[in-house]
Amino acid sequence: MRIIVTTVLVLINFILQTTLFQHLAIQSIFPNTALIIAVSYALLRGSKEGCIVGILTGLLFDVFFGTAMGYYTLLFFAISYFTGRSQKNFYRENYLLPIIFCTMAAGMYETFQFITELILRKDGNILFFIIKILIPTIVYTAVVTVPIYRVLFGLNEWLELKEKYKYRLF
Amino acid sequence: MIQFWEEHKKKIIAIVAIAIVAIALFAGGKNLNASALESVIGFVVTPFQDLTTGIESWVDSTADSAKDKTSLLEENAQLKEDLAKLQDENKRLEQYENENETLSSLLKISQKYPDYKSTGTKIIAKNPGVWYNTFTINKGTDDAVSANMILIAPGGIVGKILESGATYSKAQSILDSRSAVPAMSIRTGDLGVVKGDYTLMNDGLCKMEYIDGEAQVAVGDEIVTSQLSDVYPEGLSIGKVTKIETDTNGLTKYAIIEPFVDLKHLDTLLVIDKNTLEEAP
Repeated sequence: MRIIVTTVLVLINFILQTTLFQHLAIQSIFPNTALIIAVSYALLRGSKEGCIVGILTGLLFDVFFGTAMGYYTLLFFAISYFTGRSQKNFYRENYLLPIIFCTMAAGMYETFQFITELILRKDGNILFFIIKILIPTIVYTAVVTVPIYRVLFGLNEWLELKEKYKYRLF
Repeated sequence: MIQFWEEHKKKIIAIVAIAIVAIALFAGGKNLNASALESVIGFVVTPFQDLTTGIESWVDSTADSAKDKTSLLEENAQLKEDLAKLQDENKRLEQYENENETLSSLLKISQKYPDYKSTGTKIIAKNPGVWYNTFTINKGTDDAVSANMILIAPGGIVGKILESGATYSKAQSILDSRSAVPAMSIRTGDLGVVKGDYTLMNDGLCKMEYIDGEAQVAVGDEIVTSQLSDVYPEGLSIGKVTKIETDTNGLTKYAIIEPFVDLKHLDTLLVIDKNTLEEAP
């Protein structure tokens, strides 16, 4: 059940992100909702499931938009793993931590792409990167994280309740 | 299961990471058609992307049709005028073509701007994010579209196809920073390479690099693809020069190019097959 719901969620997000959300972009910047979902999953369910969601999303990105297989997969995998490790230390009901983690993850994601661009093509313009890409992405991500995390949190509660009934855990 | 995960956490993580890197190294730099796994994922995802884009354009057109009548009438009159102008021009061009054919048959040279075999296609999904400009189109190997074919739109070149699945293809526009198109100025014949640049991408511009320091390229010159490319056929228009600067080394120049095609708002494209040129007599 959880596997099906998660897969469908990731696919729906991918489809929306590549088509509809492009129109909501401000100055070509729109937060990476796939990353927000992977990070939220890692926070809600721990590093193992976070990693699986991260790999699944990264694979989709690689298949459709990457020139070499594995780049996005590794990036999503690493980010969701490191967020997942901190899962046990906070209350899931709190909104502040997911926002902080998602903005950090988004910042890391963009910085990695910048570094790749810098190393492979010597094409670095750090002022442009910080002003035009990094700061708008972080601000926008912080705003968009709240509704997405709320939906995922609700979904997770519902699934956990179902699982409790199924395995007679109370 | 969970216990197993807890016990071997580090090992599993390391193995997965190494596996991904290995796949990346083995599959790196490939420019082939999609593998079975990719085709399967494409088969599942692309119909929905197609559907979503379809709904979007339907909403767009419905909203447009609700526009007030007078502006539509005005637009209609304007379009009729344009049409008449274009028809006139078309007739003139047909005459030129006939003349060209007779003259070139007299001279026994092959046609420089032949008719390529082309297929119409639509963009169904775009790469999210600001770094790269790749997109998915709704034609694949089933419609005889394959890797390294060229995408054009009315006005000029759009990009090339990176990879084809059965029902979809992955394409890269000329604004992508990984793209490089050998080009030349049509007026002076100076050579260069048109590359994408992420700092210019959001404005829909690209950069022509490696122009000789003494080249006579000027603002407003038309840039076309040169004969130096394996992928891009010769003589397709790219855009016009809007700015010229000398590089920091002082030996070469670079120019900012504004493509003739509005690459930010594209939906319908043509795929052309360069190889049909060689088959033609």
